Amino acid sequence: MSPFELIRLAISRLGTSRLRAVLTMLGVIIGVGSIVALVAVAEGATSGITDRIQGLGTNLLTVTPGATFTNFTRGAAGSATTLTVEDADALAKLTGVAAVEPEVDTQKTVIAGLQNTTTSIIGTTPAFPAVRSYTMWQGSFLNQASVDGSLRVAVLGATTADDLGLDGSSIGSYIEIGGLPFQVIGILQPKGSTGPVSQDDQVLIPISTAHHYFVSGDSVRSIGVSVASADQIDATQALMTVTLEQRHGTNGTNDDFSIQSQAQLLSTFSSVTGLLTLLLAGIASISLVVGGIGIMNIMLVSVRERTREIGIRKAVGARSGDILFQFLVEALVLSLLGGLIGILVGVAASAAIGAVAGWGFVFNPLTVVVAVGFSLLVGVVFGVWPARQAARLDPIASLRYE
Amino acid sequence: MTVAVDAPTEGWGGQGWAPSSTPVIELRGITRVYRSGRLEVAALRGVDLDIWPGDFLAIVGPSGSGKSTLMNIIGCLDRPTSGVYRLGGTPIESLTDDDLARVRGRAIGFVFQSFNLLPRTNALENVATPLLYQGVGRRERHARAEAVLERLGLADRATHEPSELSGGQQQRVAIARALVGEPALILADEPTGNLDSASGAEVIGLLHELNAAGTTIVLITHDTDVANHARRQVHVRDGLLLQ
Repeated sequence: MSPFELIRLAISRLGTSRLRAVLTMLGVIIGVGSIVALVAVAEGATSGITDRIQGLGTNLLTVTPGATFTNFTRGAAGSATTLTVEDADALAKLTGVAAVEPEVDTQKTVIAGLQNTTTSIIGTTPAFPAVRSYTMWQGSFLNQASVDGSLRVAVLGATTADDLGLDGSSIGSYIEIGGLPFQVIGILQPKGSTGPVSQDDQVLIPISTAHHYFVSGDSVRSIGVSVASADQIDATQALMTVTLEQRHGTNGTNDDFSIQSQAQLLSTFSSVTGLLTLLLAGIASISLVVGGIGIMNIMLVSVRERTREIGIRKAVGARSGDILFQFLVEALVLSLLGGLIGILVGVAASAAIGAVAGWGFVFNPLTVVVAVGFSLLVGVVFGVWPARQAARLDPIASLRYE
Repeated sequence: MTVAVDAPTEGWGGQGWAPSSTPVIELRGITRVYRSGRLEVAALRGVDLDIWPGDFLAIVGPSGSGKSTLMNIIGCLDRPTSGVYRLGGTPIESLTDDDLARVRGRAIGFVFQSFNLLPRTNALENVATPLLYQGVGRRERHARAEAVLERLGLADRATHEPSELSGGQQQRVAIARALVGEPALILADEPTGNLDSASGAEVIGLLHELNAAGTTIVLITHDTDVANHARRQVHVRDGLLLQ
């Protein structure tokens, strides 16, 4: 019998019990659909977050206090000064460094007229827009004079400005941060990238002002360093490490800081999301296996029900191989058709989730190939045994079977 | 014990794989022993039988006589424990299971007491099924099946499923299926057993017609009235032929 005849026979057979065929396929539909959808969701989330990381700035190295910092503050709270404004100044003098931007942050309530919001207050320097890739929408950014004079001036993130009902006409007006009046001198252009943590919901004030009113000591949360060109990143990172080790009296084994490049951040992140994708796909494959067991179950019932048919076919000349392939192809048609419907369902689901979550429609053709391959595999693995049972039936006993 | 058999005056034309001078079926010393645990039951205890082209033979016997076992062996559904079985001159002992399936498809047409048509499959497809396993293309299958249905007066029932046909019609579809591959012989196992007397007579009449046209027919029955329609009879009793 040609494969074409077998497929026609299988389809006409499944056509006689459509409800059963659909219910049998449902397991595979759900399995394949959830694999396709989950992988697309994981990829969409990854690309969304990758965009955000890249949006943080170009050629960016970030210095943060190391693990010992945490232990140290636990021992002597308030005196933690592993990273300081002076460290930032020292880094700024190194060759290859284009700009340096130390940051401190705190959470405060901000009030403008009748509106209020609680957001992060970041103390920084005039280098912030250059290092972190922000541009101004209205007004101007903090200048060196405002830092030197610890002035109470503020630049608002786009979202924060929105929340407070401020726009271009509000430049020069006063808002209250943590109970103190600050003059609004500028509003940032929104970054536009998405995610659970907004890069546009923040208020920027001079770092000296922040240290004066809100954060005691002169420690900083992080130092953003913009490297002059991309090919200098590794050399600059090494130079910065040496400089900070000298300043902190450490020797590489007990460093109280860490320097992360964006590439490292991205690779750390992608290894995490890769693992997450694998995990989700793994969970979804369990449902595919369950779907396969469903097919096997129905095929076994079918062999039992159709014992007499098998006997008749053998009596009129069907070889064991003909019967084997007839039942195997039926299982394959079920699993493959279920797989194709599952792909459609999965793609539709991932498009819907993408639209809601905001990363748009992510579609990887490889997923389809893998999904089709897996459903074929399921069909073969769970179809072979029932088909062998059918092929092995004794024609005489089958013809007498009631 | 040999039986006087009318020398066949005609071959069964069209097949050409067995000259009319040799028997279609040649059984020599056929035994069949069933084993269940330590118990051995001999269903056949040495059967000799020749069936000639154009023959119309009734194998008659009560249930338990071994006639079903004999039919299974003649029909290549079962193998003898010992003895020689030649089908159209070819010994079947040496054949593999797949070869036996091929022989069933090409050389033997089965007609069963309970019709044994494929359910939810129309008459045309049922009749065409043996050709499917011979690798005949779809168009030719349908053309040949239609021709046989036409010959048996069932042309207007071609698209009906078995559940939409009367018992007599179903048995005629089954006979059409047995005929479609132009087999060496038709093996009919109690073909009238599930039919009312009118339909039964119709089926017997049809078998007569086919035999008159040259088809070799072997009828297995316990009913002597039915057996009397055959040209000759052999009786099976306790695994032996009484002729």
